[in-house]
Amino acid sequence: MIKEILQQLWKDKFARIALIVLGVIYLALFFADFIAPYTKDFSDRTMAYVPPSKIFTITPEGKLSKPYTYNYIREFDKNNLEIKYSLDRSQKHYIKFFAKGQPYKFLGIIPMKRHLITTDSDGRLYLLGTDINGRDVFSRLLFGGRISMTIGFLALFVLFPIGLLYGGISGYFGGVTDNLMMRFAEAIMSIPSFYLLIILASVLPSGMTSTQRFMLIVIILALIGWAGFARVVRGMVLSIKNQEYIQAAKSIGASKMRIIVKHILPQTTSFVIVAMTLSVPSYILSESGLSFLGLGIQQPDASWGNMLKEAQEFTNILYRPWLLTPGFLIFVSVLAFNVIGDTIRDILDPKSKVR
Amino acid sequence: MIRRVFRVLLCVVLIAILSKACLVRDIEPVQSQNSNVETNDLTLIDYPAPKNVTINGIDYLQSQAPIGSFGGELISSTIGEGPKTFNPFNSKDNTSATMAGIMYDGLLTTDPITGQPAPKLAKSYSISSDGKTYTIHLRRGITWSDGKPITADDVVFTWKDIIFAGLGDTSTRDSIIIDGKLPTIRKIDNYTVEFVTPKSFAPFIRMLSASIAPKHFFLPAVQKGGAYFDSFLSTTTKPEDFVVSGAFKLKEYVAAQRVVFERNPNYYEINTRDEKLPYLDKIIYLIVGDLNNEVLKFEAKELDVISLQGAKVARYKSLEPHSDFKLYNLGPDTGTMYLSMNMNNRKDSNGKPYVNIVKQKWFQDKNFRLAVDYAIDRKNMVLNIANGIGAPLYTPESLNSIFLNKDLKPYDKNLEKSRSLLKKSGFYTDKNGKLYDKNNNRVEFDLYTNAGNTEREAIGVMVKQDLEELGMKVNFKPVEFNSLVNKLVSTFDWDMVIMGLTGSPLEPNGGKNVWLSDGRLHMFNQRTPQEGKSGILPWEKEIDYYFTQGALATKFEDRKKYYDKYQEIVYAEKPFVYIYSPIRIVALRNKFKNIYPSSLSGITHNIEEIFVEKGKK
Amino acid sequence: METLKYVLKRIIQTIPLLIMVSLISFFIIRLSPVDPLAELKLNPSISPETVQKERQRLGLDKPIIVQYGKWAFSFIQGDLGVTSTGEQVSQKLKERIPNTLLLTSIVIFLTWLVGVPLGIIAAVRWKTNFDRILTVLTSIGMAIPSFFFAILLLMFAVKTGWFPIGGLTSPNFADMSFGGKFIDIAYHLVLPVFVLFTISLAGLQRQMRANMLDVLDSDYVKFARAKGLSEFTVIYKHALRNAINPMITLLGFEFAGLLSGAALTEYVFQYPGLGRLILEAVLKSDINLVMASLMMGAVMLILGNLIADILLIITDPRIRVKS
Repeated sequence: MIKEILQQLWKDKFARIALIVLGVIYLALFFADFIAPYTKDFSDRTMAYVPPSKIFTITPEGKLSKPYTYNYIREFDKNNLEIKYSLDRSQKHYIKFFAKGQPYKFLGIIPMKRHLITTDSDGRLYLLGTDINGRDVFSRLLFGGRISMTIGFLALFVLFPIGLLYGGISGYFGGVTDNLMMRFAEAIMSIPSFYLLIILASVLPSGMTSTQRFMLIVIILALIGWAGFARVVRGMVLSIKNQEYIQAAKSIGASKMRIIVKHILPQTTSFVIVAMTLSVPSYILSESGLSFLGLGIQQPDASWGNMLKEAQEFTNILYRPWLLTPGFLIFVSVLAFNVIGDTIRDILDPKSKVR
Repeated sequence: MIRRVFRVLLCVVLIAILSKACLVRDIEPVQSQNSNVETNDLTLIDYPAPKNVTINGIDYLQSQAPIGSFGGELISSTIGEGPKTFNPFNSKDNTSATMAGIMYDGLLTTDPITGQPAPKLAKSYSISSDGKTYTIHLRRGITWSDGKPITADDVVFTWKDIIFAGLGDTSTRDSIIIDGKLPTIRKIDNYTVEFVTPKSFAPFIRMLSASIAPKHFFLPAVQKGGAYFDSFLSTTTKPEDFVVSGAFKLKEYVAAQRVVFERNPNYYEINTRDEKLPYLDKIIYLIVGDLNNEVLKFEAKELDVISLQGAKVARYKSLEPHSDFKLYNLGPDTGTMYLSMNMNNRKDSNGKPYVNIVKQKWFQDKNFRLAVDYAIDRKNMVLNIANGIGAPLYTPESLNSIFLNKDLKPYDKNLEKSRSLLKKSGFYTDKNGKLYDKNNNRVEFDLYTNAGNTEREAIGVMVKQDLEELGMKVNFKPVEFNSLVNKLVSTFDWDMVIMGLTGSPLEPNGGKNVWLSDGRLHMFNQRTPQEGKSGILPWEKEIDYYFTQGALATKFEDRKKYYDKYQEIVYAEKPFVYIYSPIRIVALRNKFKNIYPSSLSGITHNIEEIFVEKGKK
Repeated sequence: METLKYVLKRIIQTIPLLIMVSLISFFIIRLSPVDPLAELKLNPSISPETVQKERQRLGLDKPIIVQYGKWAFSFIQGDLGVTSTGEQVSQKLKERIPNTLLLTSIVIFLTWLVGVPLGIIAAVRWKTNFDRILTVLTSIGMAIPSFFFAILLLMFAVKTGWFPIGGLTSPNFADMSFGGKFIDIAYHLVLPVFVLFTISLAGLQRQMRANMLDVLDSDYVKFARAKGLSEFTVIYKHALRNAINPMITLLGFEFAGLLSGAALTEYVFQYPGLGRLILEAVLKSDINLVMASLMMGAVMLILGNLIADILLIITDPRIRVKS
């Protein structure tokens, strides 16, 4: 079934582009340690807010050369109260591919030193400039993407089993159970979700490690989404449970849980797939919104949302446009997910009520 | 066919663009000589202070600044949620206090240049030679906005029935309790009152800038008691009901949007042509949620005045020559930002130490604190975080304080010195560069600051790196402001923290809650009220002494000596490692005249004298 | 009569819902480690007595269950308590709710005005390029983080000077004529409405498209076609009416989504609405204010659903029979 879906997706022009874009992004994120010239926390404080490195291939004398770059020098201009950056032309730094640089552990296990692109150890190669702490924006985009692009999926993996089971039980048992369970779900749904989200995020205990915080945010995101999902599942179960084969299963004495899990829920697969692809983007956006308010992923960890926080400043948008790149990446990946979700829905279930 | 041609063309164009992007010629730019623009030091213009004049038996205050034209408005802004109340005796936040301060004058004010007390509602004052008796002479013939006279009854009522009685916000009352006793107040005649403090207490004169309330307007609210008083003059009070003494009176309050003030026609200040001030018809405060929105509003000319930080300064500096605004440098900020280590060696009620025994030993070690201090790279912090618009800080008094001890010299980051200091106390590093103490404990601790404050988070990241250069392991944890304060003042379970405190450039005694060893904000060695002054360190005792003496002395020179000593001790012992002070730069539209910027009082301290140039309203 | 009975029943059903909402939110807030007095405690010039006084005033010295009881009791009496700075919560809400309602109702109106026709066209031209492009275009609106979009629009407003920088009214609003006031508000609403409109358009358009596809596939449309009615009559007279009905149920959810989505937009545009209020309250952990705004949010949402239900009964008699 998955294979069929993929084949059909590939046939669609827009979906194909979206698939390629997402594929490139996820590959880059997977090999982030290798692709990024620097590690996540590497910073050179004399290089705060440096613009992207200029890469030259023709020397001042007009000769073709291996690509090289210059470092920036920072000066404070007392007259204009301004920090100025100029190129330090005394020393050329050649760009090197597959060369040794900052040590890291590939996939957290294999210690490595090679980077896709780097320069010599005195040189600084900032493909997308640096942030306030002199950290390489390009490298942090890759590491931050790992968080932003997985948080949605993780939340889905938490909330879908809950929603499925909850909706399944509620729909199948009916009566008082159904009534109680649905009232509770409605109560959760009655609180505007973003309000609930910020309240939950703001009460997170302080002093957690970044992994704990990440996990808790995943759980919070899941807590908010499951109720609506469970309600739709319940509706579907209500219509499925009277079908003949379920009656048949009942008559041979299968247990209720078994019927729900083995016979009823699989019927909702296409709905689940559509709902999943269509809701990933909303979680990516929620995370960015939370981090933008300072309630999500915290410094010094990176996520696209908290990197974008710096970009809200007026002067940064005007003079340091490279800080806007996380916003652009959020946009591209959310769009890609949306296009794929739409196409899958049209393939599986064109009349789906899922948005 | 066409399609194929198209594809080939596309490929060619792509390759062309790619090669253009790859082949970048390295051309050295022609060095442009830096034109010598005026240096931008603190601009001090001589401020002609207003004088007292008597016309037809009325004691006016007369502005000595050039005569201006009437009319026009000034649009300013306030960050946050706007005022909570307009009651000057109940304002617990800055915005409310500013708003109420516009409407209610005090007896005295501060001279914006010298920092000395200057007359306001009071015509003059005198202090007895023992420093205990303050005699205040009020102006004759001046009135509230509703035309009723301002007399000694209003003053006595304000101090006795509101401030001493502890109505509303009690901070004024709290700060004038001397040895558990309040000063007394007595009406001598209709225009003279006398305060007597139980001991000589120099900071008291500053307290006389507290607003004075109109008795006939406040009395009913005061009689109804505390709870009613708290909601008196709230944001829902009708503007026409206000009776004020200040230059401006509330005209309109729109929640979360703006506060509008209109001129008080009965104000007691006149210009040299004997016309009643203020010049401006209106002052408008727009309520904006954050700094960013404020800049956008200034940029779109919705605001007339704005204070600038960091990179914005550079932008406006470059725009200034061809714009309708001017930048004013007001010098360093009055607040302080610091890093503190928890030296607490006491135990909580369950017998558990507040701070890990091993860690508190490090923090109690003066060499360790000094080593941390020398490792901090203040210079780069100023450059990166404040965009160069700041000055490194080494003392507890802010850089523009009149009590600043100028003998305490700045110094640069010095890792060598840090290392030798650590070595002296038996710390050593292993071959991986990790730092251990003499009992072989790895030096590792948590560094907190409040999350959401970009500036402090950035400082935290840099401090972490600086200290890791010494081999320490620092876990940087930005936490929610509320939880952080809870740690600092109640649970005491923190290792190292980056915080800021507001301060006054005029009166160090405001910091007594921080510096006295039983103070409520004595964070680095916080004691609970039950613990009193237990386990006091010798230098804490010294600070206690100098601080108390500083408040009791009356002459500025004597006070300065005491406060110099306390700064010396803090400088040597480093309970707080000070980081830097941002420099305040304000942009104001050119059309406003009579502008006398002051590092102590800001730029609109003489709001009643400011006017809009003719033809630019 | 039947309708009235149904409405009454629905209203009574909301009561346990509200109790549950209040319980959930109260416990989340109170179980947090956050201290509403933190700011006071860190102010050097505030005495411990004052802090203690505040604690008593806010009832923080009582066990949590008592606090909830007290809160619920006064809530029923219409007393929403005071904020941590001593203002009346009800007053603050009164200032904000109309603004939020204004913003959301305009957005809902506009999205319907544009989204419904677009949905119909997309369904009629199902699987054509037009349909695909329309879907991608609306997705673009959905993919921009709202706050980011809002910031970019503000920059645009600054650069061109065409629009005001946030807020709802101009400083001289009080002196304007009625017409002037109307124009002033409309002028301030353009940008926030535009942001929310682009975000919510996609959802509505898709929903309408799906409904329409559903209806176009049904037997009676096939029958109408077989009868030889013109395609125009089939689509706009028969199909449309049936496709719109389920959309009305959606109105309530639409409203909910907007309340949430508006929070960040209100924040960036400094719009004096409920979303910005709750954000500020949460960041300061002002318990009474957060509770009251949560409850108001929930009440508005439930009311929205209720109105949708009632509308549905009026437009679709079949529901009445069922209930």
